[in-house]
Amino acid sequence: MTEEQKISVLSVDGLTKDYPGVRAVDNVTFSIQNSVVHCLVGENGAGKSTLVKMLTGALAPTAGAMTVNGKAYVPTSPQEARDGGIATLFQELHVVDELTVLENLTLGMEKSRFGFFVKSDLEDRVTQTLATIEPAIDPAARVSTLSVAQKQIVEIARAASSGANIIIMDEPTAALSEREVARLFTVIRRLRENNVTVIYISHKLDEIFELGDTVTVMRDGKHITTCPLSDVDGRAELIELMIGRTVFQSYSPRGKIGDKVVLKAEGLNTKLLKDVSFDIKEGEIIGFYGLVGAGKTEVARALFGADTFDGKVIFHGKPGGKTPKEAIAQGIALVPEERRTQGLFTSLTIRENVPVMNLPRVTQNGVFKAEDVRAAAEEFVTQLGIATSSIEKHTEKLSGGNQQKVVLAKCLFSQADLLLLDEPTRGVDVGAKTEIYEIIKDLANEGNAVAVFSSELEEVLGICDRVFLMFDGCLQEEIENGPNVDIAHILNVVTGGQDEDAR
Amino acid sequence: MSSQSKTAELSVTSGAANFLRNYYIYFVLVAVVALLSLANLDQFALFERGNFLNKRNIINILRVSAPILVVAGAFTLLMVSGYIDLSIGSTMGLTAVIYAMLAINGMPFVPAFLLTMLAGAVLGAINGILVVRLNITPVIATLITLSLFKGIALLLVQDGVSAIKSGGGLKMPAWFNDYGRDGVFLKLPAAFWVAVAVTLVLIVVQNRGKLGKYAAATGGNPTAAKLSGINTGRTVFLLYVIVGVAAALAGIARSSFMSLGDPLSGDGMELTAILVVLLGGTAFSGGEGRVLRSFVGALIIMALTVGMLTIVPAYYQTLVIGAALLTAAATNHLVSQKGKVS
Repeated sequence: MTEEQKISVLSVDGLTKDYPGVRAVDNVTFSIQNSVVHCLVGENGAGKSTLVKMLTGALAPTAGAMTVNGKAYVPTSPQEARDGGIATLFQELHVVDELTVLENLTLGMEKSRFGFFVKSDLEDRVTQTLATIEPAIDPAARVSTLSVAQKQIVEIARAASSGANIIIMDEPTAALSEREVARLFTVIRRLRENNVTVIYISHKLDEIFELGDTVTVMRDGKHITTCPLSDVDGRAELIELMIGRTVFQSYSPRGKIGDKVVLKAEGLNTKLLKDVSFDIKEGEIIGFYGLVGAGKTEVARALFGADTFDGKVIFHGKPGGKTPKEAIAQGIALVPEERRTQGLFTSLTIRENVPVMNLPRVTQNGVFKAEDVRAAAEEFVTQLGIATSSIEKHTEKLSGGNQQKVVLAKCLFSQADLLLLDEPTRGVDVGAKTEIYEIIKDLANEGNAVAVFSSELEEVLGICDRVFLMFDGCLQEEIENGPNVDIAHILNVVTGGQDEDAR
Repeated sequence: MSSQSKTAELSVTSGAANFLRNYYIYFVLVAVVALLSLANLDQFALFERGNFLNKRNIINILRVSAPILVVAGAFTLLMVSGYIDLSIGSTMGLTAVIYAMLAINGMPFVPAFLLTMLAGAVLGAINGILVVRLNITPVIATLITLSLFKGIALLLVQDGVSAIKSGGGLKMPAWFNDYGRDGVFLKLPAAFWVAVAVTLVLIVVQNRGKLGKYAAATGGNPTAAKLSGINTGRTVFLLYVIVGVAAALAGIARSSFMSLGDPLSGDGMELTAILVVLLGGTAFSGGEGRVLRSFVGALIIMALTVGMLTIVPAYYQTLVIGAALLTAAATNHLVSQKGKVS
């Protein structure tokens, strides 16, 4: 490609998005040239998703302007975005299983008269596009017979034949096998040859270096740099650009960890997890840190008996429960990832939520002892500092932080001595975060074992005594927390760096 | 490569599954007809001598089948889009009453017929508005209209009379009966041929029409449909209107066959329609289903129902039909499960 062919296809100027109390994207300005693979990187919460939502028309910017293919670009729907030249490959697949590949490719673009289809060159055109990027897919096949990777390619072909010359791909390799990833990369390179610009978002840095021409780095909602990837000196420099010189809240050892192993997991295997083994001691807080999809939630659910798995879990010398009911009875409690849908009965009051994990404690012959229920709820409201006017308040009306405290109360009421906390402070404001950390530390100091599953490094390094780094379903490394942890090294590991070193 | 052979294996089994899914309904039809033809009617005083499959019986079955045959196709498209209409029985009853009232008060056939179809369209539109605009769950919305439409039909009839019919100085015109009973071609009445025509049109709509494809897209993956720029709300609304019109045609056929406008003449139609459509292989969850197969499904149900009447003591009928359907639905479920590679 010669120099004069390089023209800017997308530019954003002073783009800003404010949420109540937070500036998610802060005055971002950069531009992308045609026929490149442009990578967008940043930590969780750096503002990538918000930026993409503005590009796809899902969110309107608070300030700033976007220009696509030389025209002002103000999309209000994915449809308008595509008409403007930007198509998006979302993480979840948007194909119709019941239709054929060809029917999917033409969906919504058909030419018709009086409600019936008429012949046009559309079918030839989309078949041609599909053949260019992946000849192995039969246009007449039903989509339900395709693999996830093939469905994804059908979606890419649809995006490419819709007239869009920019395709955004958000973590497209998350559900793909290694071979499928290689195939996808071939498709992406063919797209680039055919004058399509791909905006590629991934946490896996080796993919970025393998595929990308240029890169934009974001941090805390701000634009850090946009440059050719050849100007970036390897993973280390990219990671440094992503995290900056962040100072983390320092960890202070609590020094009360017992010797008694509470839980031992050996060789856990599921669809995602590969040979996961570890133990937790009395009074210890361990952390599982990894990016979205690394397998943290899967570990928590396995320990809690919520998912089936191969391997062994020994809890207090006995095999762990096979169902949540058994796990609770043994003394394991889970604070699930999705508070509103998995953790709480939001249409019930605090009083009604607190005892649900251990009803025998407050019932007699199947009937509630009203006084005990009330006393328990009052006790936890005081102990955990739940800000509410009354225990009769419906939990849906509480703030995120207070809701999370009710979930914790539920677990504590079950008298568990192993607490599994999956993203314990997601969607919780800063003040409540600190309080929840104090609660967690108190629980450990009382001799409980705690496992924190988090995609926030600051959180894990703030409270955990030991941290397991996860990538792609494996425990990559175990590190002792302390003042000298190497953050760049951690980020290298959880973005797949260790795999690369091993090769 | 082991993974390649695995893929091949998968496509072979899914090919067989596809074949089963596409054609099993015809085997069922043949099996049912063959079973019935074995029955010797001589032992049954009620009926003609000879085989079940005599000309007269077949004509009879097809004549009484007209209402379900005319509804099956439209109902299939609606279910393919992932929606349902439980009010079709009441729509049928109400339109039957309207049609009979128009006729008995002297309106000629053509305007009475068209006005009744229009009434069906309006009733369908009401369902569409409740579901699409007001966002009420389809089952609830159409349960509401099931009750509403039936209430209106009962109000229209009033006065302790059970149906609109000749008497009290008013007389049904002579033509009223012809549409549902009088053989116009191959000794079959117009009502049957209208059902055939409607089915043919809907087959074309399903294969070559925007509405057919958009119904499948809406039922298969609503988000994908919307992201492709399809107005799913409009698609669903249109389908409800079409089902309303089809239910009106069923109401006309039934009232013409019975020579009266009975507000309860459609009772239970929603169940029959669901059974017929499921038997034809339509997925309850949407996305999947063919008009023609539902038509065949309707023939099977009617052959079974009438066949039962002739052979089996009355108190066994419901049970036997239920068992037959259970078998069919279970087979259908297994087949469509196997066809999917997840």
